Amino acid sequence: MERNVVLAAENLTKRFGKREVVSDVSFEIVSGEVFGFLGPNGAGKTTTIRMLVGLARPDHGRVRIAGFDVSHDFAKAMARVGCIVESTDLYPYLTGRENLLHFARMLPDGAHRRIPELAKLVALEARLDDRVSTYSLGMRQRLGLAQALLGAPDLLILDEPANGLDPAGIREIRQLIRHLADDRGIAVFVSSHLLSEVEQMCDRVAIIHRGKTLAMGPVRELLAKRGADRLVFRVEPAEKAAQVLGSFARDGGARVDDPGTVSSEVPRESVPDALAALAAAGVRVFGVEKQSSTLEELFLEVTGGETV
Amino acid sequence: MKFAPLVENEILKLLKRRRFRVALLILIALNGLIVFAQTQAKDRKPERDWRIEAQERVARMQNWERSGRLPQTQLRWVRFEIARVQYHLDRNVNPDAISGPLFARAFANASSYLLLPLLAILFAADIVSSEFAQGTVKLLLTRPVGRARVLTSKFAALVVAITLTVALGGLVAYLFGGLAFGYRGWGAPVLTGFRLAGETLDPGSVRSLPLWEDALLAFGLAWFAALTVGAIAFLTSVVLRSTAAAMGTMLAALIAGTILPRVAPSWEAQRYLFVTNLPLPDYYSGSPAPITGMTVPFSVVVLTIWAIAATAVAYGVFLRRDVLA
Repeated sequence: MERNVVLAAENLTKRFGKREVVSDVSFEIVSGEVFGFLGPNGAGKTTTIRMLVGLARPDHGRVRIAGFDVSHDFAKAMARVGCIVESTDLYPYLTGRENLLHFARMLPDGAHRRIPELAKLVALEARLDDRVSTYSLGMRQRLGLAQALLGAPDLLILDEPANGLDPAGIREIRQLIRHLADDRGIAVFVSSHLLSEVEQMCDRVAIIHRGKTLAMGPVRELLAKRGADRLVFRVEPAEKAAQVLGSFARDGGARVDDPGTVSSEVPRESVPDALAALAAAGVRVFGVEKQSSTLEELFLEVTGGETV
Repeated sequence: MKFAPLVENEILKLLKRRRFRVALLILIALNGLIVFAQTQAKDRKPERDWRIEAQERVARMQNWERSGRLPQTQLRWVRFEIARVQYHLDRNVNPDAISGPLFARAFANASSYLLLPLLAILFAADIVSSEFAQGTVKLLLTRPVGRARVLTSKFAALVVAITLTVALGGLVAYLFGGLAFGYRGWGAPVLTGFRLAGETLDPGSVRSLPLWEDALLAFGLAWFAALTVGAIAFLTSVVLRSTAAAMGTMLAALIAGTILPRVAPSWEAQRYLFVTNLPLPDYYSGSPAPITGMTVPFSVVVLTIWAIAATAVAYGVFLRRDVLA
């Protein structure tokens, strides 16, 4: 599959009065890629998305979609995009089909022919002729996604697509997004404050905080930068174990997390020696497990501990 | 990208919602009520010669006029009414004869300054702001259709809705009126264009038209008045982005328009307010204008300027403003 840049944000800056909500944000997304846009609420995610789709005008910088500048070639740029901004609001007094027909009429001829196929894709065939006001949140979300796909877009922009969904719904959406990227070559931009969901489906992520991008790169690379994985030792007594493990840890530290649990960054090759030393010191070892370094920790690190 | 499907969308959204059905029901209920009330009044009256009744009315009004206790505004109306009834008497035409077509014609006069503008507001105040309230504006404005086209399609749908409402209002009035007073009489002559020249009637301005032509003109003017109110409500909907706020503003304006000419008839500048100009079918058919000197062409010009200015500002705001709802 040929990979070309579908979305390019260049130095986006937006001010509300004197407050700079988005400062100099840049990124590129290529076809077939799922790009995660992470940040706590109020970090500037939604404002950035509004600039991407032309709802808000950047004070500085520009957005290009499939090569078309959003502020100058709005219609041509938007013909390549499907989006859900903030929430999947559709017309509650129309049926699912009427909603899709409504948005198909705003696209070049023939978009309505995709409705049956899309209804099947998002598993809404059975309820398509019911009013949207009778839909569950998950169904509205899926209808919103069908709407976004009506124009056979090259780029999907999804703002918090998992908001309000139950775990099963989140998994479905995640699989759907991966399918669209892998099998159809669609570039997907996903914003979220739920790190776990982004971590599992994104190829690359950007972390945004107070309007600035703090880190950006492939998920694996970002995590690798943080060094080896931490190990969690289920031991007794914990204090003594921490003393022993400290000498094996890469950074010389071992931490008692809970009574009976010590975590430490022990390199893989030192694990057998560390266990032998623990046994020699009379520490009883009940188990050792890997605590994989998550985006969550990375996030806490780059944002200085602000929770998401 | 074709324009017709966009207008189709907007009309569909207008018609699918409860407010259009409510408007229809209001038209039916009001017309039914008025017809019912009028038949009740007619039934109680003994069958008498209309000439005698009209003569008595003229005499009664002449007494009022001479009593000197009437305020200036009412005096003006009384003099006009005397002249009008007298004119009909002289030509042996019953000034109060009623028929289905006449009832429909009267509906245009009665509804142009309050009912039809009210219904126009009902549609227009919500047409843009509801998209903001539902959040659907974010989808509407991220489709490959420029903002100007989206707004134009909404305006076109509004014009269609107002036109339909005025036409339906006339139709319902005719159907109900016909039920009570008979369906025939579209060709009957109507005397119109009464105007006071000083103290007496200026006969030069009186014309005789077939009723259908007269009714068409009156409905045209009522339609135009409703359209102007619609354009201004459209502006408030764009600017305020809240249906309740837009409706409140427009209702306050309408109420001011019905009160002002009564409490402050000497304030001449109110002739430039759009609300003062709304009863134009009324003074087209000869009633005195709310403010002396207002004529139908004058009102048409004033309303046109208001409508164009409101629409221009609405476009200016809608095209430029960031959507952050």
